[in-house]
Amino acid sequence: MTAPAPTPTGPGTPTATPSPTPSGTGQVPALQAGLAAEHAVIWGYGVVGAHAGDALLPQVRDADDAHRTLRDDTVALVARYGGTPVATEPEYALPFPVTDRGSALRLAVHLEEGAAAAWRYAVAATDDVAVRRAALVALSDAAVRATRWRLALHTSPATVPFPGD
Amino acid sequence: MVAVARRSVLIGGAVGAGLLAAGCTAGGPSSPAPTTPAPPDPLLAELADERRLIAGYDATIARHPALRARLTAVRDDHAAHAAALVTALGPAAPPSPTTPAATDSPDVSSGVSPTGSPTGSPAGSPAESPSTGIESSGGRTRVPVTPAAAVAALRAAERAAASARGTAALTATPDRARLLAGISASEASHVAVLA
Repeated sequence: MTAPAPTPTGPGTPTATPSPTPSGTGQVPALQAGLAAEHAVIWGYGVVGAHAGDALLPQVRDADDAHRTLRDDTVALVARYGGTPVATEPEYALPFPVTDRGSALRLAVHLEEGAAAAWRYAVAATDDVAVRRAALVALSDAAVRATRWRLALHTSPATVPFPGD
Repeated sequence: MVAVARRSVLIGGAVGAGLLAAGCTAGGPSSPAPTTPAPPDPLLAELADERRLIAGYDATIARHPALRARLTAVRDDHAAHAAALVTALGPAAPPSPTTPAATDSPDVSSGVSPTGSPTGSPAGSPAESPSTGIESSGGRTRVPVTPAAAVAALRAAERAAASARGTAALTATPDRARLLAGISASEASHVAVLA
């Protein structure tokens, strides 16, 4: 996905985060919350892809790829901050039955909203600027993707005032 | 459960309560803040910017009514942002500007326009408005002539706003960081609907 994240990124993506100096607190719990969400989202996009239909498949793949990259970056960050990255669950419960394009898109919205909630929690859970920046980018990207899925669903409004609420 | 991290941190209540201690010197709701050497609350600049955005949407809708359906929901998001910032600011919040209609009438009797902000908040003056991509002068917001250009101006303003709010979130207190991060993400998603 072309994720235009006009957040204060600069060189601030997780991979570019400088080596952790003891300049803050709460980095590991913050990152673990985001990572746990990313595991669930990646699992969920497997279900979305199975039902979204061929026309949407490229977009689903892009979103899935973005989350896998974010997951890998987050795993590396957790380890760098001295934590043991949380593992994915073998299976997750779906919030509603997914049987067709419409329910697949609604699941995609749900997944991105969940990711947004986790990363927004992460922003406030640490005062480490580098981790906050990474969480902000992840939050913003999730909000943008949720909006794109809502547009595909013709949901109105397609945006919310506080993604992750 | 697919949606992890459902620990919904309270926003309205928590933010408001946590910040009540921030500014307690104001004499009354309508009286100008006394001249204190303390630097202005940084949220004031964010609030002023949100109000400029709202004025920009109102002026754009007034000038290009065909855009109303597309812009109203986004404008409403910004109204929610401004309201949340006012809550977070507590007593330090400046009075709300005149009604949206003010953008249509250049010389409203508003002593409370951003220019008149008694505390002299740094971003409260139109001089800083270029940062949002929305031009205003004399309390009036200029709207590009064509709808496409008007939407492009709003899109640029949203980008700048998302960036500003995101930057502010990096060093804010946890409650404020959460608020500013949410606003920033919302504004990033506005860019997608204005594409």
